[in-house]
Amino acid sequence: MSDTLRSLLFSMVLCLVCGTLLTAASSGLKEIQQKNMTIDQRKNILKSVGLIREDQTYSGEEINRIYEQNIRRLIADHDGNVIQASSSNTKKEEKALPIYLYTTKAGAVEAYVIPVDTQGLWGKIYGYLALKNDGATIIGFTIYKHSETPGLGGEIEQNWFQQNFVGKKIIAPGGEFVSISIAKGKADGSAPKNRQANFVDGISGATLTGQFLTQGLKEILTSYEGVSVAFRNTEEYCRKSTDRPWCRK
Amino acid sequence: MVSKMKITKSKAYKTFTNPIWGNNPVSIQMLGICSALAVTVQLKTAVVMSLSLALVVAFSSMIISLLRKHIPRDIRILVELAIIATLVIVADEFLRAFFYDISKQLSVFVGLIITNCIVMGRAEAFALSNPPHLAFVDGLGNGAGYGSVLVTVAFIRELLGSGKLFGFRVIPESLYAAGYEDMGFMLLAPAAFIIIGLLVWLQKSLARD
Repeated sequence: MSDTLRSLLFSMVLCLVCGTLLTAASSGLKEIQQKNMTIDQRKNILKSVGLIREDQTYSGEEINRIYEQNIRRLIADHDGNVIQASSSNTKKEEKALPIYLYTTKAGAVEAYVIPVDTQGLWGKIYGYLALKNDGATIIGFTIYKHSETPGLGGEIEQNWFQQNFVGKKIIAPGGEFVSISIAKGKADGSAPKNRQANFVDGISGATLTGQFLTQGLKEILTSYEGVSVAFRNTEEYCRKSTDRPWCRK
Repeated sequence: MVSKMKITKSKAYKTFTNPIWGNNPVSIQMLGICSALAVTVQLKTAVVMSLSLALVVAFSSMIISLLRKHIPRDIRILVELAIIATLVIVADEFLRAFFYDISKQLSVFVGLIITNCIVMGRAEAFALSNPPHLAFVDGLGNGAGYGSVLVTVAFIRELLGSGKLFGFRVIPESLYAAGYEDMGFMLLAPAAFIIIGLLVWLQKSLARD
C-alpha cells in the first residue's frame, strides 16, 4: 500500500472515530446538560433577588422547589403591558420582553428580574438583573455564563463585583432614566458626585469588559424602560388597568 | 536506601523531574507563555489551569504514544491535534453533564488548553518516540513544570496586585490605612512578562553555577 493511500485511510478512520466520539458525547449528554443549565439559570434568578445564599449549596430539587414557589415568568411589551403569562420558554419575538416576578406568599410583587444577554469583550455575557418593585433600585446582579479572561474580565462572575450593584439606581436624582454604568476604577474617583448611585466600581485590568457591560446594560434597560416606568408609577398605572400582576386586585 | 536510589535513577523518575527544573517547558523552552499571561492574575485560576493542563498532556501523550507505530509520519501533526482536541472536548462534555460547577470554572480554559504549545510539543518531541507509560509520566512532569512557573507568577501577581492569596486578604487593612497601595500594574499582562523574564534569569544563573 502506498504511503499516500495509507495516510488517507488513517485520516479517514481518525475522523470517523473522533467524529463519533464527539457526536456521542454531545448528543448523548445533551439532556443532562440542559437540565443542569436550567437549574443554573434558576439558581441565578434566585440569587439575584436574594432568595438563596452564596455560601450555601443547594441541590437541583431544592432550587426547583424554591423557584416554583416564588418566581413567575411572564412576557411584557415595551409599554409594560403583559402580553401573556407563560412558564415555558417562548421564541424570541421582536417586542416580547421576558421578565421574572418575585412574588411573596401574600401575592405582592417584591421585585422583577430582567435577563441580561449582551456582548462582552470575547463573547456573550449572560446573567440577570433584579430590580425592586419601585422600578429604580437594583437589588441583585448575577452572571451565569461568559467568556471573559479569567482573573481580569472574568471577575464579573465574582461576588464582590456583583455585590457592587446592590442598592444602586437606574435613575438620576431628578427621576429620569440613566441606566447603570461600570466606572473605570473606583466609582467615587471617576463618577460625578451627584451620580454616585448610577456607578459601580470597575475591575482593574478589565476596562473593556466594563465598557461592553455598561453599553449592554444600557441597551437592555432602555428596552425594558416601559416595564420599569410601570413599576415606578404603580398607582397611576393600576388605576387605568389592573391586568398587571403587580397591581393588587 | 537502596530502593530510593533505584527510584531516583529510574527512567520514569528522570522523565518526571527533568521538565520541572532542567528542561522546564515555560522558563527554558519558552512554551505556553500566552496562557501563562492570561491566568496568573490569581492563584486559583493558575492552579486550575495547571491541573487541567497536566491531565490533558498526560492523557494525550499516552494515547499518541499508543498509536505511535501506526500514525503516518507525513500527517502526524494533524493527527495529534485531532486527538488532543477531541479528548479535551469530550472531557468537557462529561464535566458539563456530571460536574456542572467544575465545568463552569473550566469553560474558558478549554480553548486555552487545546492551543497550548506544550501539549503539541510533548506529543511531537516525546510521545512519538517513547512507550505509553513514559509518555504519561512525561506529561505529568511537564504539567508540574508549567504549574510551578504559573503558581510562582500568580503568587507574586496576586500578592502585589490585589493584596490577596487564593482570594483571601493577606495584607492587613491597617497597612492600607497607613498609605500602602496595591500595585495595579501587576494585574496587567506586561507584569507577567517581566516576572517570567526575571524567573528565567534567576533559573539560568542558578543553573550555571
